[in-house]
Amino acid sequence: MTTPPPADSAPVDLSVQLGRLRLPNPILVASGTAGMLNSIGLDNDGIDAFLEHHLPYLATVGAPTIVSIAGRDCDEFIAICAQLEGHAGAAAVELNISCPNVSHGVDLGTDPALCAKVVAGCRAACSLPIIAKLTPNVTNIATIAKAAADAGADAISAINTCLGMAIDWRRRRPLLGNVVGGLSGPAIKPIALRAVYQIARAVKIPVIGIGGIATIDDVMEFLVAGATAVQIGTANFYNPQGTMALLDQLPAALAMLGAKSVADVVGTLVVP
Amino acid sequence: MTNPLHADHYADRAVQQRVTVLENVQLARDTYRLRFEAPQLARQIVPGQFVMIRLAGCNDPLLGRPLALYDTVLSPSGEPIAIDVVYLVVGKLTSRLAKVSPGQTLDVWGPLGNGFPPTPAEHLIMVAGGIGQTPFPALAQEFLGSRTYGSPPRSVPRAGRVTLCYGARSADYLAGVEDFERLGISVRISTDDGSQGHHGLVTDLLGLELARVSRETDVTPQNWEINPPPLQNGDPAELMTAYPGTRVVCCGPEKMMEQVAKISALLRIPCQVSLETPMACGIGICFSCVAKVRDESGNWDYKRTCVEGPVFEAEKIAW
Repeated sequence: MTTPPPADSAPVDLSVQLGRLRLPNPILVASGTAGMLNSIGLDNDGIDAFLEHHLPYLATVGAPTIVSIAGRDCDEFIAICAQLEGHAGAAAVELNISCPNVSHGVDLGTDPALCAKVVAGCRAACSLPIIAKLTPNVTNIATIAKAAADAGADAISAINTCLGMAIDWRRRRPLLGNVVGGLSGPAIKPIALRAVYQIARAVKIPVIGIGGIATIDDVMEFLVAGATAVQIGTANFYNPQGTMALLDQLPAALAMLGAKSVADVVGTLVVP
Repeated sequence: MTNPLHADHYADRAVQQRVTVLENVQLARDTYRLRFEAPQLARQIVPGQFVMIRLAGCNDPLLGRPLALYDTVLSPSGEPIAIDVVYLVVGKLTSRLAKVSPGQTLDVWGPLGNGFPPTPAEHLIMVAGGIGQTPFPALAQEFLGSRTYGSPPRSVPRAGRVTLCYGARSADYLAGVEDFERLGISVRISTDDGSQGHHGLVTDLLGLELARVSRETDVTPQNWEINPPPLQNGDPAELMTAYPGTRVVCCGPEKMMEQVAKISALLRIPCQVSLETPMACGIGICFSCVAKVRDESGNWDYKRTCVEGPVFEAEKIAW
């Protein structure tokens, strides 16, 4: 993306509406995390420490905070949502029912009935906008997304990491402590694009695209595929200032398609 | 407002930039010194801090690699203008780095990590194993009073004596020995195969050095032994040491650092270790570089080597 915008282009509206959640622009920083393979899991201090220490600070940084949560089971997801209820500073909650390094999370996100149960439970427990974060490690991700939407999710975010593995054959040992782990980064972008495209066609709620997004071309591809916003994860690890650069480049990219707002390009893919 | 749970050395002041390579020269077997132009970084960085380095515009390997400050390079007028790092070719990135020529570009972000604290020492003993000598040229010069680092320059009381104990697999892997010798410090070498210096481990060198200090006489590998000093009132917390003013800093393989930590604890010598852990981002967001570090009550928790280290008090590490 090196072409400058037309000199006479009108200002582009970067704001997006994610259900009830309005964001000033569609570029989000992802939770947790060629490709990167990890078995880190979800290292954090727990919801109490988060509410006491982290959230008050995050409320001061000038961007809406989406709290990405994970529980060991359905009840724990619901309990955390209940704790978040009424906390100023939390703009929305993302249910990570898809971290491959937390086995119960995968279970909830791989079964439409379990997915619906956890989303409905969280929906009842808290009034914040709810985003269901889905795993690509399923046969039909659209079915899971539809279950989440029907259960009351305000938005879907997809995808979490793809299950992967690395081996040191000389020592005949897995390279990851958890044997298998989650693959992220540019290597999984085509998988993520496909998932976002399928989900956007299956549900009416907004989709947040995640998976290998690192360049402005990546961002635009996801918007055209049907994502209302995108999250940047792994790219932050190898290009710490890259997310801000994407935001700077976005207006020109939208202008190239003649768009006056982000919404003008979302889901405009032409399939011959 | 700052996050109360942030580490002291969070990467908020780090800069990310594309830099030009000035030199990339082989120092020893599989070992190279890379010099790149980065005046702002060179002004800020202190010994023990590191930078993340990535091949510019190349996604294979995807992630950067952490490399410690070897030294900063001064302009003719004495201004820091460039950074030297020394690396051992181990995997994909370092293999490709070894083929980089002057004029090529790299993506770099830093300075990162806490660095060695400027705690005064009468005798600074630097213990290095493998490629673990790389943080020490800058530290040695700082303690010798011949160079300053940081912006504003941090103040470090001059040490009376600086010693390097440096162990490698074999003589051909010893990298930068002449850089240390040029500083006028005592350099003691060991190799696993006896091809240079003491035939044995670098921990032997530390023991020999400490025995030599306590007796101030000739000590040979055959007659050295370490005796812990007697406790006054039986309280280890008194830190009554037989080696007043001695401080050990250490970087190398984990088993070696654990042994150095044990020797230092036995003799109640303050010891800091610089950990090397697999690191993806260097700026505290990925949690891949965690190490088990004990708190005041002795319980361990995972701490990020990149922003809460890489330098830790040796006694705090749960080896």
